[in-house]
Amino acid sequence: MNIINFLRNAFAGRKLATVGFIWLCFILLAAIFAPLIAPFDPLEIDPVGRLAEPGLPNLFGTDHFGRDTFSRAIYGARMTVIIGVGSVVVALVCGGLIGMLSAYFTRLGHFLMRGVDVLMAFPALLMALVLITLLERSVFNTILVIGIVYATTTARILYGMTLKLKGEVFVDAAVCSGAGHSSILFRHILPNLVSPLLVQASFIFAFAQLQAAALDFLGLGLPPEVPSWGNMLSEERIYVTRAPWLLIYPGLLIVLSVFSMNLVGDALRDSIDPRFKDDIAGV
Amino acid sequence: MALLEVENLHIAVGSGGKLLPVVQGVSFCVDENETLGIVGESGCGKSLTSLAIMGLLGDSTVRITGGSIRFDGMDLLTLSAPERRAIMGNRMAMIFQEPMTSLNPVYRIGDQIAESIRQHQQISRSAARDRAVELLTLVRIPNPSERVDSFPHQMSGGQRQRVMIAMALSCDPKLLIADEPTTALDVTVQKEVLELMADLQDRMGTAIVLISHDLGVIAETCDKVAVMYRGKIAEAAATADLFAELAHPYTRGLLNSIPVVDRDVEWLEAIPGRVPTLEETLTGCAFHPRCALATDFCASRAPETSQFKPNHSVQCHFAGGSTT
Repeated sequence: MNIINFLRNAFAGRKLATVGFIWLCFILLAAIFAPLIAPFDPLEIDPVGRLAEPGLPNLFGTDHFGRDTFSRAIYGARMTVIIGVGSVVVALVCGGLIGMLSAYFTRLGHFLMRGVDVLMAFPALLMALVLITLLERSVFNTILVIGIVYATTTARILYGMTLKLKGEVFVDAAVCSGAGHSSILFRHILPNLVSPLLVQASFIFAFAQLQAAALDFLGLGLPPEVPSWGNMLSEERIYVTRAPWLLIYPGLLIVLSVFSMNLVGDALRDSIDPRFKDDIAGV
Repeated sequence: MALLEVENLHIAVGSGGKLLPVVQGVSFCVDENETLGIVGESGCGKSLTSLAIMGLLGDSTVRITGGSIRFDGMDLLTLSAPERRAIMGNRMAMIFQEPMTSLNPVYRIGDQIAESIRQHQQISRSAARDRAVELLTLVRIPNPSERVDSFPHQMSGGQRQRVMIAMALSCDPKLLIADEPTTALDVTVQKEVLELMADLQDRMGTAIVLISHDLGVIAETCDKVAVMYRGKIAEAAATADLFAELAHPYTRGLLNSIPVVDRDVEWLEAIPGRVPTLEETLTGCAFHPRCALATDFCASRAPETSQFKPNHSVQCHFAGGSTT
């Protein structure tokens, strides 16, 4: 009930953000029920029907292997959700732990946060490229790399917030009631960080899509046989003049999804911190 | 042997390389069923003393540099962290100054009380919850069985302070330290909270250390009083003895600065000057720049603690001397 109320508050009077939220729900459903929705096998090659125009039975046309673009787009949604959720989990767990521990154990923090500073000095995409060249191309490694890149910002944010919470009287009160370090960190401080974590998660989810698409496009992301929106762009880019729909559909999907995630993230952030509200009122 | 014995406690604040003493040789003791009041202006070291007892001076910038704190025969300063945790909240507890921020905003108050019980006692969740309701009844929260599920922001300041008291009392502590428990509350609520504490003391025999800057509160609730000035105990005595005959000019100054209802005065009397900052080095008595009785002797030699009357000690060369 709390979550429903929270969402209702966050999206009240924000038409665009609500549309974005609904769009993301569609993406999620497509990801879960991909095998039921997709009319064809996304990997099935049909040399005769190459580069077919959008229509029936291939709604979004076919690519240069004759694979059904619509089915690939549906399975791409699955990849989107997997990459997004995976990166968010990696980033929040690693970044959250580093940030919280650094703020709580000040001396340890001097070392950990300097490491985080060094990592943050690299542009996100550059660091992801460096890391991925050291590893094999796989779904797991893509998630890991994007997660690590965004763990740094998460660590920074949680570091600050934990530092502030650590000084609150209720933490002193917890110490006074005989609570140990882990109890204070995870039972008293962490629950106060849930809302910023939620907001952070929504933005990481959006950035992870862009990052993954960029890596795919550069040929350093997911293995080429995996149907993802980024791979679709990457593989079909040479057919942009002959069959532009091969790029328009996955490109549109990426743009709409990332835009929706940002809108949803904004709405969530504003409902948690009303000070930002005026900046984008009505969006 | 008293329940809590603080002896010659020194606390220093480290800024840069040098240590500035903030508490210098404070000694007092509290027995079961006894209330000790510690009064003093802001920055006199009274809160730091209480934090030192609870072991909350974790920060490396504030350090205990000498003395001992003995609780029930144990030296608190040499206990290991787990040993200390076993005592805190269980046998000694603390009530904080700000009821608005001392409860965790994301937990229901019942869960917070239950948690502090379960920290020390092996009892089931539902038993802890029952105990929480019982404690809320004890601190006179109306409708305790419903309010146990309230969040802190749904309660008023006075109610939150009661919840804090309930939490502090959850394991029947032998010692309760209350750091200005009523400062943030308005006067009527303040009275109720103080009465509640006195009432609970009668019932459970808890020793209380009450820290306040309000002499009225102290006079009403405490068995004995220690007046602190700039890190030292200027005067200490049983409450009745202290107010019968004020020995230290600082205590007299404090009392004179309280407005009296039935006396018509133009100006309130204030103690001239201000508390010297820690950076200012003072020779002699710390109070001499503001004292009407001060002589050159006061400026050159710090007074030792002397017995003014039986059970009434004072740090002043001219104890009992008359001033305006």
